[in-house]
Amino acid sequence: MIRTENLTKVYNGKKAVDGLDLEVGEGEIFGFLGPNGAGKSTTILMLTGMIEPTGGRCLVDGIEVAKDPLAVKKIIGYLPEDVGFYGNMTGEQNLDYFARFYGMDAKKRKARIAELLELVHLDGVTQKAGEYSRGMKQRLGLAQALINDPIVLFLDEPTANLDPEGVREYRDLVERLAGEGKTVFVSSHILSEVRAVCRTVGLLANGKLVAQGTLDEVARTLAPSDGDVVRIVVETREHLPDIEDPEILAVERNGNRAVVRAKTDIRDRLTETLFSEGLHVREMRIEEPDIEDVFMAVYRR
Amino acid sequence: MALDRLLNVARKEFSDHITSRRFVIILALFLVISAVSIHDGIENYNNSLESYNEQLQRMEEFEDPYSSWMPEKPSIMYVFISMMSYMTALGGILALAIGFDLVSKEKESRSLKTLLSHPIYRDEIINGKVLGGVGALGFAMALSLAIAIAMLLIFSVVPTVDEFAAILVFGAASLGLLLAYFAIALTMSTVAKESGNALIYTLVIFAIVSSLLPMLGMMAADALAGDPPEAPEMGPMGKQVVGTASSGGYFVSTASQSVVYGGTEDPAWREYEEEMKTYIEKRRFINDISNLLSPQMNYYTVAMAVTNPRIALMISSYTDAGVQEEPGSLAEALGRVWMNIAALIVFPSVFFAATYVKFMRMDIR
Repeated sequence: MIRTENLTKVYNGKKAVDGLDLEVGEGEIFGFLGPNGAGKSTTILMLTGMIEPTGGRCLVDGIEVAKDPLAVKKIIGYLPEDVGFYGNMTGEQNLDYFARFYGMDAKKRKARIAELLELVHLDGVTQKAGEYSRGMKQRLGLAQALINDPIVLFLDEPTANLDPEGVREYRDLVERLAGEGKTVFVSSHILSEVRAVCRTVGLLANGKLVAQGTLDEVARTLAPSDGDVVRIVVETREHLPDIEDPEILAVERNGNRAVVRAKTDIRDRLTETLFSEGLHVREMRIEEPDIEDVFMAVYRR
Repeated sequence: MALDRLLNVARKEFSDHITSRRFVIILALFLVISAVSIHDGIENYNNSLESYNEQLQRMEEFEDPYSSWMPEKPSIMYVFISMMSYMTALGGILALAIGFDLVSKEKESRSLKTLLSHPIYRDEIINGKVLGGVGALGFAMALSLAIAIAMLLIFSVVPTVDEFAAILVFGAASLGLLLAYFAIALTMSTVAKESGNALIYTLVIFAIVSSLLPMLGMMAADALAGDPPEAPEMGPMGKQVVGTASSGGYFVSTASQSVVYGGTEDPAWREYEEEMKTYIEKRRFINDISNLLSPQMNYYTVAMAVTNPRIALMISSYTDAGVQEEPGSLAEALGRVWMNIAALIVFPSVFFAATYVKFMRMDIR
């Protein structure tokens, strides 16, 4: 549904996005992760036809965005970061103004706007948008992104200004939209947010795609290389004796806990040994790289 | 460009303008001053008409020996002369007020980014904004002319077809002036990142084109035309040089001078007179060229040609004062100021073009 090929954007001689190759399938909830300034918003601006790439190309539903931005804008919805509205108009008037660009007649506009305002809990709000709180603006932003019932939704830092209840509702909404077959592209620098809703992620750093896949796949790809070593965490009720096995490379002991570095997964053998020595095994697991640590390491690069 | 998208933007912009407190307050002030000044103008016109009728009556009664001389019938266009001064002041403020934050405010509120995420091209947005602004200023102008005409009719002054045409031309020239200031404000609004800066830049450009440029034009004329020729030492009696500086609050920056004869032909004086004429024409040419860059000066020239063609002709005439010229029809009067009319059209067009280019390349991150 979304594809970029060697997508590049240069600002003042600096590459904001550098040869990005990305693919997001239909109905996916894709998390676009990266630290501030990584090039996430620039990528979204190119995908939504708001700026032209310096090099490469991007396609949404098979349409090359730079060649026909209007055709793309008709089938997508976009919630910009820090979304803005016309402060002298109500939420309803703002939505009506945007809806007119899709050729919707007055009756259709009215029905759609009422439906969306109810969805984001802004129905009955008569204030002008200039008097809205940041959270209300964010909710109205979501409504304007859905005004044309898009098949692809781009959300840039969607939960930035929402309260916990708003975040929960947003997550439910995204799940529901994905259930309807819509593709949702969520850009964020908050891992926990992406983790909560996204099935696949892409990690961007310095304009380049560092990894793409499920969160676990990305975490494994990015984990610090330790050769083919397997790290096994062991905990027993009793004090741990010396553990000997030809596959073991090293053991880091700490009372009744230890992290065993071995050439292969020797958990079965290890369990038998400890059991035969009359020890009670409380924990025995392969230590996976900590996803937060892995992402933080990339963010700090 | 799809017309419906352009009109959607223009409709919203027009509605924003005419419902904004800023626009309504300035327009109300403009209309009140307009009505008061039209009222004064009508009184003056009625007085002039009375005096004209008395003169005609006296001529018939006393069989005036100067039978070839006829008093000039006052035109109702005199009523509009007073509109010129506040048109450049309040009208200018109105135009600047609706234009200076038209784009910068959208950048500040980030509504431009939201708007651009919907199916619309950038040129449709900027053209829609221009159209909406032109519509709002046209609305203001039409309203003030409608009030003026209504007041004329209330006071039983009925314009002829020619006078009605002249009123429309006056309105068009006034709109041209307002568009010039609106175009400056819109350009600055596109260039500046913040509305506050946009307003400052707008006022600076406004001061440059309305005051500094005419002053520089006069200085350039002085510098380039050199010193005026010196008069011969022994001249015939009664010769004098008359300089026209101002007329009814209308500042004439050019030195229009004429030599009045009062004696016999003298070759030295004749030569001096020719040199003086060349000198004046040279000064005037330089000054006129620089004035073309000032919408205010162009407006004064065009509006004067419409409201008071006789004085406009006297100001623009290089010929000896002894030769009387008739101002002719409205078309002829406008024909004499075609360069100023063209300048009134070109000036906003240049600024609108600059706005367009800048807006199309604007970074919207």
